[in-house]
Amino acid sequence: MPRIFSPVRRLTLAAGVAAIGLAAPSVWAQATVGQSAPDFAVTDTQGRKVALSDFKGKHVVLEWVNPGCPFVVKHYGSGNMQATQKGAVDKGVVWLTVNSTARGHGDYRSPADMAAWMQSQKAVATATLTDTDGRMGRAYGARTTPHMYVIDPAGKLVYAGAIDSKPTANPADIATAVNHVNVALSEALAGKPVSTAQTRAYGCTIKYADPA
Amino acid sequence: MNAAFAALTARAFIPRRALALMGLAAAALLALPVFAQGTGSVVTTPQVRAELVAHAPEGIVPGKPLWLGLRIQHAPHWHTYWKNPGDSGLPTTLTWTLPTGLAAGDIEWPTPRKLPVGPLLNYGYEDDLLLAVPVQVAAAPAEGTAEIRLAAEWLVCKDVCIPESGEFVLQLPVQGSTAGHGALFDAARGQLPRPADGAQARASFEGEALVVRVSGLPAALQGRAIEFLPETPGLIANAAPQQNRWEGADWIARIALDPQRADAPTAVPAVLSVAGDRAGWRVDAQVTGAWPAVAASPAPAPEMSPINAPATGTDPGAAPLSLPLALLFALVGGMLLNLMPCVFPVLSLKVLSFTAAGQGPRERVAGGVAYTVGVVASFVALAAVLLALRAGGEQLGWGFQLQNPYVVAALAALFALIAMNLSGAFEFGSVLPSSWASARARHPRVDDLLTGVLAVAVAAPCTAPFMGASLGLAVTLPTVQALLVFAVLGLGMALPYLLASAWPALAQRLPRPGPWMAHFKTLMAFPMWATVVWLVWVLGQQVGIDGVAALLGSLVALAFVAWALGSPTLGRQGRWGFGAVAAACLAATLAWAWPSLNPPPQSLASGTATASEAGWGAWSPERVAQAQGEGRTVFVDFTAAWCVTCQFNKRTVLTEASVVDAFESHNVVRLRADWTRRDPAITAELTRLGRSGVPVYALYPPGGGAPRLLSEILSVDEVRQAVASSKVAASR
Repeated sequence: MPRIFSPVRRLTLAAGVAAIGLAAPSVWAQATVGQSAPDFAVTDTQGRKVALSDFKGKHVVLEWVNPGCPFVVKHYGSGNMQATQKGAVDKGVVWLTVNSTARGHGDYRSPADMAAWMQSQKAVATATLTDTDGRMGRAYGARTTPHMYVIDPAGKLVYAGAIDSKPTANPADIATAVNHVNVALSEALAGKPVSTAQTRAYGCTIKYADPA
Repeated sequence: MNAAFAALTARAFIPRRALALMGLAAAALLALPVFAQGTGSVVTTPQVRAELVAHAPEGIVPGKPLWLGLRIQHAPHWHTYWKNPGDSGLPTTLTWTLPTGLAAGDIEWPTPRKLPVGPLLNYGYEDDLLLAVPVQVAAAPAEGTAEIRLAAEWLVCKDVCIPESGEFVLQLPVQGSTAGHGALFDAARGQLPRPADGAQARASFEGEALVVRVSGLPAALQGRAIEFLPETPGLIANAAPQQNRWEGADWIARIALDPQRADAPTAVPAVLSVAGDRAGWRVDAQVTGAWPAVAASPAPAPEMSPINAPATGTDPGAAPLSLPLALLFALVGGMLLNLMPCVFPVLSLKVLSFTAAGQGPRERVAGGVAYTVGVVASFVALAAVLLALRAGGEQLGWGFQLQNPYVVAALAALFALIAMNLSGAFEFGSVLPSSWASARARHPRVDDLLTGVLAVAVAAPCTAPFMGASLGLAVTLPTVQALLVFAVLGLGMALPYLLASAWPALAQRLPRPGPWMAHFKTLMAFPMWATVVWLVWVLGQQVGIDGVAALLGSLVALAFVAWALGSPTLGRQGRWGFGAVAAACLAATLAWAWPSLNPPPQSLASGTATASEAGWGAWSPERVAQAQGEGRTVFVDFTAAWCVTCQFNKRTVLTEASVVDAFESHNVVRLRADWTRRDPAITAELTRLGRSGVPVYALYPPGGGAPRLLSEILSVDEVRQAVASSKVAASR
């Protein structure tokens, strides 16, 4: 261990320990491609309980969202996210959109508001999940909006990362980008291993609540 | 009281900081917009001032130094990112267009800072940054000046992120010296990580951790706290605390790997950030051994245990106001409600009751109490209905009763009757059965009570200053507490009259009863007629011109009935004869009118109600988000035809020339959310803003983030200042 700490460094470290340690390291960023996806039991915007175990036997896509984020606007404003959702849902895939924004942050939206936003975007997600305390987001190691995950029918995580290959806020880049979720889903639905199973998600930082 | 009230609203809703930042913002906004192409070397946004700078002390000559750079001066607490931005963010990119013979190298990234964001961590820069780029000069450009063009993109974040870009042009003399920014480049060089020549860095794996061992570091570093910042993104768990130690001259760190890493490189270039040293050292860690396969981690697989997120729907602890404060706001808001333009017509009824003859002090107080009971009971009853409907899943807000055209029509009929009565067209005494009339005479307090009910039915839909926040809270509270807030609101509204009725001096100041009272009564009919006009207009907004005709037709038939049954000059026979005809007319008219009062399909009404005005668009959440994403400020007018305060603000402020100028010069997107008829999306947005009624004026900052709410009674200055300062102030 280091013997000399500057006060600043000590504060930084303390903050880091506070942020990570209190949440128990096992809770943060445990979701690993190739392993079982962490189960979750949260409420959707309609007040229904939703658990991953409800969807055994189906492919599940998780999408982290924050309507106030320019990168989310890039993919919803262009219709790219909705098209990806529709392509998946039409093939029997369960699509869960998750909002982990903390209550109190300027981007926070109530479940009713989130439902109205999804409706206004003509999103076709199976359900929109409310993860205000961030436990689900932390369990998956979700960092950005959007951040995408694909889970196979056995409950195994087969893709984690970005929606596509061009990490910009410019909607014009969507046309020339590779949609990683579409690729991962089509491979997984065909029973093939996912060729690009992990990418670096890009977007706005998820505004997590302080760990309770 | 009016002046004090105006001063109160003007001061209360413009934070001092916003005013202070206004000048800065105005200056920033006069400069180039975020995405515009520059014709100079500086691009200014509310978040950064970016400048293309150059250093060529000996001119542009082969073999002589030429440096270009983008200087980014961040507004306080805003940051841009390092080449490895960490858990989120994007590195700044520079695309050069240089004269032939010149070739730009890579950005020389200064050592970044760690920027923790909750459980995540970014690497980036705040304050003053220079991203310097060395330029190879193979051949000097021929002309006298060389044109340097740069297209830069950067993501600037605080707790919200804004993608920005700029195009820069700089003319450099080929022969002359360009050295004005020499000190800046020198300072930047002092912040570059130094190559740790002679040091050896190796990385290996222990389970899910990267173990880095660095030997041969300068002796001066030994014992100092060091952190390992990889230049390759996505390899390590950035926010995890790094365990490290000195083992003699070797520095050893154990760093958790990112379970979602996408790369498995054979070398990890990294910066060793040293406590108390702005620059740090650069090493290239050679990886020995294979990266642990992400799929076959030896760590125990996460169990399929439910996370048990407590699925609570409400969390009163996170409410924006405490209950006592909400009650105080409700009381003040209720009192201020009397000053709102929407309540004004009804007040004349109350004033009229003060002048009623033959009232002793005791009757006056009793009247005041009865009025108060009527107001409070109506508030509570309306609130109970509202809460019950909301609990049933309806998307409703305060004022919902006027979103129903039938209620509007009924109120219009009631006010027309009152107006006719005050004008002397008929007497209630002749219309009502004699037992009712005598009961009314024996219980004059019933009139006061009903006046209170009427005042609430018509006036309450408008929200006054202080009221908005209380109402917004109330609808999220448990039922009993919510009803308490509404009751206090009613108490506040009735309080001035209650006090006046208990104030003996007032009674003494009134003129003695006399013929003036009859004139005054007739005079008071005109505010009632004005109220009818307003309600007819509201109905017109809701159901269109056919509905207006239906309502006016019904009012004529109703007037016929009232005259026939209530005219003091008609005989008994005439009364019943005309009465029968009039009643038949009314029944026929209502049968004809009823279907026209049905609201038309949503699209038709919102299309006519909202898109009619130049410069304003119809509100939708995605339009707000899209405009914000484009870096534009958005002003949303949450309004309703039945909200007189809204119309007052629209006429006096929002259409005022200097306000329109301010909107246009700052490229503000103006959207109107028309709540005249029920609209769940608008109700949801109001809820999100912590409000439950209109008017609400919200200014959404560019790029996303929380909107700023303006006062319920707008002033020209307030809107202009808010618009001018929005881009800076909105970031909080």
